[in-house]
Amino acid sequence: MSVKGLHKIIYPFAPDQSGAAAVLYELGGMIIICDAGGCAGNVCGFDEPRWLSTKSAVFSAGLRDMDAILGRDDLLIEKIKKASAKIDAKFVAVIGTPVPATIATDYKALKRMAEKRTGLPVITIDSNGVLWYDSGIEKTYLECFRKFTPEDTEKNIIPDSVGVIGVTPLDSESLSAGKRITETLTAGGSKRVICYGVGGSLEDFADAGRTEKNIVVAASGLKAARYLKERYGTPYECSDPLIGEVRAGLPLSTEDLYGKKILIIHQQVRANALRDTLRKETDDTGNAPDITVATWFIMDDEIAEEGDFRIREESDFFDHVSDGGWDIIIADGSFRKAAGDFGGRFIDLPHFAVSGHFADEESVRFYT
Amino acid sequence: MITEPYSITIKELNEAGADNIPPELVPATQLIYSSPATLAFNSPGATGFGVKRAGLAVPGSVMLLVAPGCCGRNTKLLSEIPGYEDRFFFLLMDESDIVNGDHLARVPEAVKEVVEYLDEKPSAVMICATCVDALLGTDWDRVCRKAETLSGVPVRPCYMYALTREGRKPPMVLVRKAIYSLLEPAKRDPRTVNIMGYFSSLTDDCELYDLLMQAGVRKINEISRCRDFEDYRGMSRANFNIILNHEARTAADDIAGRLGIPYLELTRLYQIDKIANQYSAFAGSIGAEFDDSEYRKHAEKAVADFREKYGSISIAVGEMLNANAFELALSLVKYGFRVPEIYSNVSREDYVYIRHLAEISPETRLFTNLSPTMLFYDCSRAEADLTLGKDAEYYHPDCPNVPWNEEKQPFGYSGVTRLFEKMTEALA
Repeated sequence: MSVKGLHKIIYPFAPDQSGAAAVLYELGGMIIICDAGGCAGNVCGFDEPRWLSTKSAVFSAGLRDMDAILGRDDLLIEKIKKASAKIDAKFVAVIGTPVPATIATDYKALKRMAEKRTGLPVITIDSNGVLWYDSGIEKTYLECFRKFTPEDTEKNIIPDSVGVIGVTPLDSESLSAGKRITETLTAGGSKRVICYGVGGSLEDFADAGRTEKNIVVAASGLKAARYLKERYGTPYECSDPLIGEVRAGLPLSTEDLYGKKILIIHQQVRANALRDTLRKETDDTGNAPDITVATWFIMDDEIAEEGDFRIREESDFFDHVSDGGWDIIIADGSFRKAAGDFGGRFIDLPHFAVSGHFADEESVRFYT
Repeated sequence: MITEPYSITIKELNEAGADNIPPELVPATQLIYSSPATLAFNSPGATGFGVKRAGLAVPGSVMLLVAPGCCGRNTKLLSEIPGYEDRFFFLLMDESDIVNGDHLARVPEAVKEVVEYLDEKPSAVMICATCVDALLGTDWDRVCRKAETLSGVPVRPCYMYALTREGRKPPMVLVRKAIYSLLEPAKRDPRTVNIMGYFSSLTDDCELYDLLMQAGVRKINEISRCRDFEDYRGMSRANFNIILNHEARTAADDIAGRLGIPYLELTRLYQIDKIANQYSAFAGSIGAEFDDSEYRKHAEKAVADFREKYGSISIAVGEMLNANAFELALSLVKYGFRVPEIYSNVSREDYVYIRHLAEISPETRLFTNLSPTMLFYDCSRAEADLTLGKDAEYYHPDCPNVPWNEEKQPFGYSGVTRLFEKMTEALA
């Protein structure tokens, strides 16, 4: 039995504050990582591949020990006010980290004070650096739709429009994923495609209540999709428009799948989509593979099959890999080492939030 | 709405004085822009030798990062550097740990499990602690003692407390102390000297090695050149320590107190005349004489050759490099080049250079990498023929650049020579 929380091989994944920043990065706001500096460094220097190519007002709150110990929220508000006078921001977002989580920062108060002092809409995300990126994405989408999609939206649906929730670099195989999703859906007949958070703007959120339907491409988008369905009646489906490309990139023939026991580890929607694709290939053969989906991230019951599971500890991963009797494991390559003496085939399915690498190595890093 | 980045001329900065640095240049008064240099400067674990990598300077050591997952995220990048692949381990906190400190009870067991997991027993386990424990007031010495008892290997804390960056003992000061804390008293050897301050060695061609040999020194230790833990322990035999970075003073004081090894301090400079003065004073202080004439000639020739070939070009200077940005800018101006812009944080200590720079290049403008207004920086605002520093390259992406941030550390005349060689290569 391993010590709880001990990781000997698997490196920590993108944290929730990175997920939050990923949704907000292109929306034209002032994004304040409520930290001492290290968390902002991680967001910009590692988890945000757009940082080198696309400028965004991502700032560190620059908290110091006495700011935290004495709870100097007023000082932070003053800093935000000063910056908002210099930056033409559409909104302010304060993203939490372990520091405010440890001192129990009152985000509601922070939000009220900041709105009053800056005159700008303010959202706060109570990320804490302990949870993984999907939690931050989930909270941020929800907060954005709540804040920026008008309450009084009329049922004036935009024909053939589709909203895509869950596209961030952290869940994508390439920086161009948003563009390619748009192209794919447009080719399929959609006249207006909005990938919330990628290649769009804050104004997209204003039209969210008028969209004909939503596509959820990562499980972290599900809560927001449910909110939009409940609030505006917008139907949603979980699917991965790029799964055809993803499948084509795997070094697995249809014959390789026959009768095999396969484990797919990724975020749930992509893993599900890949499972469906592989099953369809083998449907008529009478020799279909037995495919299980696992994830370190959100495992939503609505889209899970019996036997799918969530991995919470590194020791769980070791146990599942060694005891599962898998013939093939499809997962980010950084899990290969942790798979130890797994004797089957390990197929690499990149996941930026895990390894910090894209499939096409578009990832541009400053720290190289 | 302001659409210009904040900047100030060196003349204005000098006139304001060290006691009256404009608030726009003081980190505590503003949000901090995530520029490249900020990430290096503001985040003690982010790049180069931050706390994580520095803590592993002890040969054969491994590191257990005890933190929320976010603090270990970019460690993935460090693990891709040869020599660091299997040296990082993580004890991840959960949501209750960050409030009630329950993770501390798991640290000794976690250290033991890591030690048992490794094929070879590590020389030490360095515990990398983060902001959460800074706020919880964790007594790491006590936790490490328990872990040491349970695991049977030395365990030492490395404080990656970004919250204390502007405190009396910031993370990069304390980590320097940590990596020498495993040295124990030993019989001194009058012909052995330690060079401290950097986590990697000086460049092989640095004249300091030869000058020390001229003074009768026979063994020169640097932590990064220690082949193994035994070699590292040999640093205890040094007659004196030379510190090349002021952030090593606390470590040197600690060694002086515990092991009785005195130290002296040298500064990295790019002004050739000042380098000569410093060596002369150094030689005098240890009762020796140095012949540095050949090295000096080389450096002077490198500068002269470059000057002759390229004339008085404009060079923008950043702070993300192996130099003090102000001292480097001062050197360049003294050599006959123009320095239109400097991108740097500023401290009281920099005024020793700022004063001189104000006399000979008053219109040089200082931009601070920290300011949110740097979002508006437009490279067309100032002409630069060459940039020095990786941050300067970020602001002038199309301009020839010398990053000058190699791991092997430049120092003295050879540093000047090498810099001008690199500048020549960049413009070729």
